[in-house]
Order: sequence, then C-alpha cells, then structure tokens
Amino acid sequence: MKILIAISSKEYSGSTLGLGMKVASALKASTTIVDVGEKINEFGSKDVNIVNQLIETWDFNRPGVEVLEWAHDFLAKNNFIEIKEDQSQPLKNKLIESETDRSEVFLKGKIGNNLSLILRNGDIIGELRSEVEFGGYDITIIGGSKKRSMSHDLIQYINSSIFIVKNYNPKNQYKLLLVVDESPNIKKVLKYGVRIAKEFSIKLTLISNEDSKQFSKKYENLIRYVNKLLRRCKVNYNSLKRNGNLEEEIISAASDKHIIMMGASGSSPITKFFKGSTPLNVMNRCECPILIVK
Amino acid sequence: MPILSERSISNFLYWVTRKKWLILSFLLSLTLFYLPTPEGLSSEGHRIIIIVLVALILIMSESIPLPAVAILILIMEVVLGVDTADGVASSFMSDAVFFIMGSLMLAVSIVYQGLDKRLALIVLNFTGNKTWRIVLGFMFFSAILSSFIGEHTVAAMMLPVALSLIKNVGMNKIRSSNLSTILLFSIAYGAAIGSVGTPSGGGRNAIMIGYLSEFGLGKLSYLTWMKFAYPLLLIEVPIATFILWFTFKPSQKIMDSAVRKLKVQVAKSDDLNGQQKLAIGVFVFVFFSWIFLSPYIGLGIVALIGVFLYLSFGLIDWSEINRNTNWGVILLFGAAISLGIQMKETGAAFWLAEKALLYIGVVFQNENIGRWFITVVMTGILTNILSSAATLAVLGPIVLDMGGNPLVTGISASIASAFSYLTIVASPTCMIIHSTGLIRSRDYLKAGWKLFIMSVVLLMLISNYYWPLIQ
Repeated sequence: MKILIAISSKEYSGSTLGLGMKVASALKASTTIVDVGEKINEFGSKDVNIVNQLIETWDFNRPGVEVLEWAHDFLAKNNFIEIKEDQSQPLKNKLIESETDRSEVFLKGKIGNNLSLILRNGDIIGELRSEVEFGGYDITIIGGSKKRSMSHDLIQYINSSIFIVKNYNPKNQYKLLLVVDESPNIKKVLKYGVRIAKEFSIKLTLISNEDSKQFSKKYENLIRYVNKLLRRCKVNYNSLKRNGNLEEEIISAASDKHIIMMGASGSSPITKFFKGSTPLNVMNRCECPILIVK
Repeated sequence: MPILSERSISNFLYWVTRKKWLILSFLLSLTLFYLPTPEGLSSEGHRIIIIVLVALILIMSESIPLPAVAILILIMEVVLGVDTADGVASSFMSDAVFFIMGSLMLAVSIVYQGLDKRLALIVLNFTGNKTWRIVLGFMFFSAILSSFIGEHTVAAMMLPVALSLIKNVGMNKIRSSNLSTILLFSIAYGAAIGSVGTPSGGGRNAIMIGYLSEFGLGKLSYLTWMKFAYPLLLIEVPIATFILWFTFKPSQKIMDSAVRKLKVQVAKSDDLNGQQKLAIGVFVFVFFSWIFLSPYIGLGIVALIGVFLYLSFGLIDWSEINRNTNWGVILLFGAAISLGIQMKETGAAFWLAEKALLYIGVVFQNENIGRWFITVVMTGILTNILSSAATLAVLGPIVLDMGGNPLVTGISASIASAFSYLTIVASPTCMIIHSTGLIRSRDYLKAGWKLFIMSVVLLMLISNYYWPLIQ
C-alpha cells in the first residue's frame, strides 16, 4: 500500500504530516511526501532553472527542499521514522529529476525507512494528479483548504482516496465516524476503518441513513454484514441509524473530534461534475478530518 | 459496456477545466470571424485583430504552452488569409528576434563562467556593511549591469549574494522578513530599472528599434538610445531605493557579521582564471560592437557573434546553451513581432490607434495627454500582466500609429514596458526572486505601485524637459 502526503510549508503542515503518518503506519503503507511549489510562468521557467543551478554552487538548497528537510526531521523527532546516519548517502542534498518539474530529493547523510521525498512545481491539482499516476498511490493526504473548488477538483480528478486533514489537533482524542451507505467502495472503507480503529484503539461509530422510514432489504443486509465484520474483528463500535438526508445526518453526527470515513459517490463523473456529490458536500461542510475512499 | 469508461470521461472533464480558456478563445474567434468587419477596417485587419485577441487570451491564461501559442499565431495568419506562408515566414524572423535569441544564449554563457562570487566581492567592497548602502548597492549594480546584459542574467548572478547575506544574518524567520524582501526587491527592481538604459538591456528595446526602422520612422543608434534613456536610469535608482527602504524598513541597520562571513566565503574562490578573463573580454568586445557596429550589422547579429565566440573558444558547451535557453519564448516573440508587422501592414494598428484615441479623448481632451496615457500607462499596466516584450510587440505598432514624434513615442513605450513592478509574472526577474519562496505575492503590489507612479512621473518629466534638448 502506498500513501502520498502533500505538504506546503512548515507553518501549516505539521498536523497533516502527523495524522498522515499515523494513518500510514496503521495501514502499513510506504509513504511519499511531496511539496508542490508554486507554478513558474513559462516566460521565466528557464531563468529560474539557471538560478536554481547557480544557487546550488553556493551550497543553498533549491526552494522546497528545506520544507522537505523539515518534514523529514519532524517525522524523526516524533518517532514516525527511524533515521540512520549513512556515510554512503550524498554529502549534500541531491535532487534527481525524474520528469519535467518532478525531482526526488535525497537528503545529505540521512536515510529514512520507507519514505520518499518529492519536489514538484506547478498547479497543485495537476501535480498531485500526475504524482498519483506516477506512483500509483492508494491514498492522498492533504491539509484543508478554504477554496471550495479545491475539494471538488481533488475528488473529481485525483485517482486515489482523498484524506483531508482539516482542523486536526493532535492533543484531542479522536473517534471514527464511518458512513455505511451504498457507495461501491464500502468494503474498502471498512477495511481502512477497522485497521485504523484497531491500531490506535479508538472508538468507531457507524452511521447509516435511509431517506424513507423503512430501510430497504438490500441496505439492511449491508448493515448486517458490516456489524458482523466489526464484531469478528473485535472493534469497539456503536451504531447510529437515521432517517433523513444523509449529508445533514453526517454533519450533525460529526463533532470536531471525529474523523469521517466514507466511500466516494458511485455517480457518473459528469453528474458529479455538474451536481456534486454527498461526499463532496460533507467534505466542504464538516469541521474535522475526512477520508473519502475510492 | 459503456462506450466511454468513467476514467476517460473524468480525463476529458479534467482537460476541459484546464483548457477552458483555449475553448473560449476558439469560440470567441469563431464569433468575431462571422461578425461584419467594422467600418474603416480592412478584412485582413479584422482577422489580425482576432488573432491578437486569441494570442493575448492564451498567453495570459497559459492554457497551452507558449511555443504552441507562437505556432498558432503563424498558422492563423496564413489560414485566415492575412498573408502568404512566405510573407509570414519573412515577418517572423528579424534582427530583433536574432537579438532576443542571441541575448538569451549570451545570458547562459555569462552565468556559466562562475563570475558571481567575484561580483559579490566587488559589490560588498563598494557597499560596506550598512544595510541601506547594501540595498542601494544591489539596486545600483543590478541597474548598471542589466542595462547592458539583460536583467535575468544579472538577477541570476546577484541572487546568491543576497541569499548568502540573508542566511548569514541568522534570523529565526527568513520568509517574508523585511530584510529578505528589500534585498531581493532591490535586485529585481534594480534590474528592471536598468534594462531601459541601452538597446541591449532588453529584447523589447530591440523590438522597438526594429519597428522604427521597418516602418521607416527613424533609425536609433546604441548611443542615441543611451542619451535618451540613461539619465532616467541614474535618477530612478536612488529614488527607488528610498521608496523600497521606507516600504520595507528592516530592523537590521548594520549587517557587519553577515558581510564579513560572505567576504570570507567568496575570498576562498580562486582568482580570475584565463577562461573567465577571456569570457569578460568577449563580452567587452560584444559591448563595443553594439555601440560601433550595430548601426551597420544590427544588434542581433552582434549578439550572435558573441555567442559564436563563446562557443568557438570553448567557454561554454552547446548542450548547456541548448538546455537552458528558452526556445519557446524566442518562438513566441518571433510570432508576436510578425503579428505586430501584420497589424501595421493591414491597417489594424492604425484603426486601433484611432479608436483608442477617440475613446481616450472622452476622458482627456488633449490628444497629447491621451496619447501619453496609452503609450506609457497602458503599456506599463499590460506589461505587468503579459510579458514586457510581448506587450511591446503587440502595442508597439499601435502607439507608433497614434501620431506625434515616433521616436519619442517609441522610446517612451519601450521604457514603460520595463515598469514591471506589480506582479510576479511581470518579468523573469520578478519570477526569479519569487521562486526563492522568501517573498509574498502581495509585497509586489505593496512597493510596486509606488515605483510605478514614480517611474511614470519621471518619464513624463524627462520626455518633456530633457528629450527636447537632445533631439
């Protein structure tokens, strides 16, 4: 399993990194951290390239490398990775360009287990999309953004599950709120939910909802299956059964100390493009971290 | 089985969202094409204006790569019947394009000589350790050097000096601190101010000289240009330093230990070697050739002679030039100049100039003020959105068709196209300093608007009171 964590700056990326690495260790995933720098206008792209080459001769890091260096040290300090001082590693930070605007970063004298560092430049959605294509990641983890179009584009165009780390405070004790709906990805949601709940011994709340008073037979069967699975996995959980609008019910059930997990909508891309979807609306409205599983 | 998989639909939707401006420009060009040609405008002129609009939308939105915009311009000129393929080809290549190509290659050749550490020592010996003197020194050296060798070359060589000083000061928070902001801006703005000084300071100067000569409006030699523009540069440098200082007043008034550390660092580098001396010699030769030979063989050919010498003496490998020269920009400027020439030849430039003066006349009763406003203010604003050379390539023929003294109008427009202070995309130097990640986007506007107004006022004073004395 492979996880991609997107960071931007030292000031805002600590919580994304912390929670992202917890999830990665629960899912026993190899991790890649990517810093996507601002897009460089084509008129100046070659000039910026020359400057980057020149500042390396002065022993300066290229922009973005310092953020990755900080992320690496942050993970080591918080015991997410083990750093071995390795003489065979380069004597100064080294960048290997694997395609246009994408470089793999090797930090001087250090090697972290199961961790890659990537530097990219350009439009955030385009670059994350390319990186996910390039590395075949299962989950992309990124901090919350105030731009509504950002969450739309992430869900619509990134071909991996999306975990938005919104308002995460590591001091809080979080609970999982797992949405049981008829998403085609419900089994994957369960798999991730069980692993995370067991790894961190946190409580899981199931929420199911039917618009009409009566739950359909098919839906009842699904809920039964989920309950059975959770019991078999010995996960500590409770269930909420609601009759109303799914989006409203999730928002009212989720406090800021929840992590919402739900499957991506099964509607066609065109419907999602024009009308949006319940996961997208929940992502925009909730005040807590949310994982949309694809 | 559905005809299209979800993945294909999703990819298509992604393409549509990323290419919306391309689609819009296509629809706009179709609509305009079928609208009747406005009175007073030839049908070729009508079509060339459509191409200009499409090109502007595509350059600003960056929805397709710049070389693709250049190729599209050339294709449209032929397909829409503005000119024959041979006619378009001959308007595409000119001495101005040779100059842009040569100066970009010269820039790579100069940067690769490793002269930046020498330059650091010279600058620091001149400035001492007081912060205000360092800011003035950065601004002054960037301006003087960029008046001869192109602003991006200067910014590339000066940037490591500024970064070293910033690092050596040992601040906790380097990003967007007043000190890092003022030092980096002094390089970018200094280089922009300096680039007006001589014809070789920027591609746009060569474009304007090319237009004046091509349209039979006058010949401008290297030294004549300097007589017009250099005093402006010398006056602007201290005023711009003053503005920057009071906009981003740094708390560190003295940078004693940072300067000392940097001097120690650069002193370790060896003395000038034979290759570096030869590289400087070649550039001095190019400089004198620009002054004395360019009236006969053109600025572009002189720049290409310089590149030839660098390559022949083995001072740089072709692979480095090839890898680091922005060929896409050269193509685009070539296409933009072709567009400018076609605008003139089809009468579109004259029609647009007439309309612009008519509409601006509603605001300014005096035609001279209206012309001045379009030439300087509009060019200055557009240069901050587009690229300066592209702006001048498109606006040049229009402002030259507005009447008045074409030399004054041409040089004014060319100088105004260097007022690239307001945005990151305004010039390569603005992009270079922004790429360090130490400057916030909003800081460009914070200082830029003051510099913009100062530059417009100074240009107005100089063109009204000084230029008449030397004509």
